[in-house]
Amino acid sequence: MERLRPFSDPATLSVRVAKSDGRAIEQGWVTIRAEAPKRRWYLSTDFPAVEGSSLVQMQLPLRQGKAEWKYLFPIRGEYRMTVDAATPDGSKATKSFQISIRENERKWLLLGVFTFCLFASGVIAGRIFTGTRTTSSVNLRACLLISVYCLGFLTGNANAQEKEMANYVSRLEVDPPTVGRMSVVRWSLTGTKGERKLAARLTLTITHLEKGKSVFSMENVPVAGEFSMQFQFTDGDEYRVAAVAGLYGGETVRAEKIVSVTPVEPPVSAMIPALALFLAVTALGLGVGRWSKRSVTAL
Amino acid sequence: MERAVPSRLGVALPEPVSFLIKSGIFLLASGAILYVLLAAGYPAVHDTLHNFRHALAIVPCH
Repeated sequence: MERLRPFSDPATLSVRVAKSDGRAIEQGWVTIRAEAPKRRWYLSTDFPAVEGSSLVQMQLPLRQGKAEWKYLFPIRGEYRMTVDAATPDGSKATKSFQISIRENERKWLLLGVFTFCLFASGVIAGRIFTGTRTTSSVNLRACLLISVYCLGFLTGNANAQEKEMANYVSRLEVDPPTVGRMSVVRWSLTGTKGERKLAARLTLTITHLEKGKSVFSMENVPVAGEFSMQFQFTDGDEYRVAAVAGLYGGETVRAEKIVSVTPVEPPVSAMIPALALFLAVTALGLGVGRWSKRSVTAL
Repeated sequence: MERAVPSRLGVALPEPVSFLIKSGIFLLASGAILYVLLAAGYPAVHDTLHNFRHALAIVPCH
């Protein structure tokens, strides 16, 4: 868990449900709900629309008392996961988990370098402004160019889709997704002769196309001809949803869909702290620059 | 005594006032540039700097 970083590699999550004597439950299912870290008042993450929202809600069958899936955490912070377990005899249990995801160190490093560049531009400007007017107006342009150069250097409705194969029709539907809200992902398998509730093992994968990363997957989950879950697509980009059903007769039926996620502009309240921090650092640089120039002049 | 900075209009400003005015303009320009680069939604700027915004960890994007 310590190595997990946002939008880095998907984490394998598994839930094990056992009886009070420690033996795994043979049959049953778990309902899983995951919520994103809450919004903090000072500095936003890079996906503010995701903060405090529901990420996924699904029901998975237990196999030898275990349910497993893969998920790519989108932002840093404390995730809350609630698991409701139920058995055919009516027994129920609920437990909440906290999962802490730390920010990528490279991002903090880049933020440090960027902030230092702003501070340095402030220092240079502060020193220039403490000098004569002619000199300062020329050097101000140079200073701005340096800042921009540094920036340049650092920059380095989903309709239903049907797939028919042999005697089966696999149907995959995704409600039009928007960042910040969960969408329903539905999959169903029917026979061309009208058979329903076909037993199969479903592998469902959701991939972020631009980043080429799998953001969610579950493998060989036993289903009775249909599966649905609520899932939040956390980035306003394109995703591929792919469902592969393995039938017990040996056939596989595949359905795939590309969904385009509607982005949500971050609120102004989320932008202000970061811009205020950058300006404060620049202003601090101005003060330090003036102080350093005066110290040298006084000698 | 603070040195007065002469201007082309013949008005002499005390050096601290001159510094404050220049600094204010500099901060204003910096704020405007930072806003356009990191917060504005203009597609051309946003698309170019999208990854950079995310890489800064504290700059909100979508």
